[in-house]
Amino acid sequence: MHGEYKMPGGKLVVADLDVHAGKLRHVQISGDFFLEPDRALRDIDAALEGLDASSDEAALAFAIQSALAADVLKYGISPEAIAVAVRRALHEGTQA
Amino acid sequence: MSRSAWSEHDWQLIHDGPQPPALHMALDQVLTDEVAAGRRQPTLRIWEWASPAVVIGRFQSLRNEVDLDAAQRHGIEVVRRISGGGAMFIEPGNTITYSIYAPLSLVEGLSFQESYALMDAWVIAALAELGIEAWYQPLNDIASAAGKIGGAAQMRHAGAVLHHVTMAYDIDAAKMLQVLRIGREKLSDKGTASAAKRVDPLRSQTGLPREAVIQRMIDTFRRLHGLRGDALKPEERARARELAANKFHQRAWTAEVP
Repeated sequence: MHGEYKMPGGKLVVADLDVHAGKLRHVQISGDFFLEPDRALRDIDAALEGLDASSDEAALAFAIQSALAADVLKYGISPEAIAVAVRRALHEGTQA
Repeated sequence: MSRSAWSEHDWQLIHDGPQPPALHMALDQVLTDEVAAGRRQPTLRIWEWASPAVVIGRFQSLRNEVDLDAAQRHGIEVVRRISGGGAMFIEPGNTITYSIYAPLSLVEGLSFQESYALMDAWVIAALAELGIEAWYQPLNDIASAAGKIGGAAQMRHAGAVLHHVTMAYDIDAAKMLQVLRIGREKLSDKGTASAAKRVDPLRSQTGLPREAVIQRMIDTFRRLHGLRGDALKPEERARARELAANKFHQRAWTAEVP
């Protein structure tokens, strides 16, 4: 499943994932945003892995925010924008 | 630490002959590290490309961004750089690419937007001298009324900041669109109808040879901030070659976000 979201005034956030037994699996967030340090991307993917596929945007954003260390710098990307991309991927999946 | 001025630094210029794409990626890592460690003075490096390339951003998905079959068909190497941002389509002679390696003190206390604006200001002055009214357009573009001229990416690492920019001098938009996958969502708030129209090259705007544009940029930087001719040190070149072979040429890195 694949979802994209361009936050107004931000960069493109892409979510690729599968759903198995109602849980998010193989989550890969990508895009043309900026994150420092770069390993924060793995923390974001790990935070989403295994979450309920029924999680709403607020729950997804909260999980991402909680997993990011306080010193992570984000430019053009936010936990909320990632959550939208994930919800879009899930929505597309139910239609397919 | 308080913020330093450009003039407090002894800026060095590296403008080497054409290099393969993976070596350029490696040089950015090595020279950022060297400035961070204090072994190298702040440096402006102008790139010359030995071969065509697609350079994807640190966090971009390889398969989402690049049509790998088309890239292979056109003999285009795909490399991943160490900074975030978007994919660039490079053909030798078609782009003007440069990197600035500076101590972190130059952007101390600045927001991302402020530090992009600060690092782009000299090139916008150079473009103005060439008759192009350009500006920094957040988050990371250099734009003119006719369209986007280039894109910047910044990375802060240890005690240094890397700011590199690719500007379109000329562009084969048809080939670019075969190789890069540029989706509709990406263009959703840009207000333009097609990806090809998003980029307006410097050649049509200046009517000058690429070398003349680069020379103007060097002259402007030198006048504003001072600039001394320099070259890569043998150990920097050796380290970059090693990194090009063992990291930037490796699938593990290029497909790190598959």
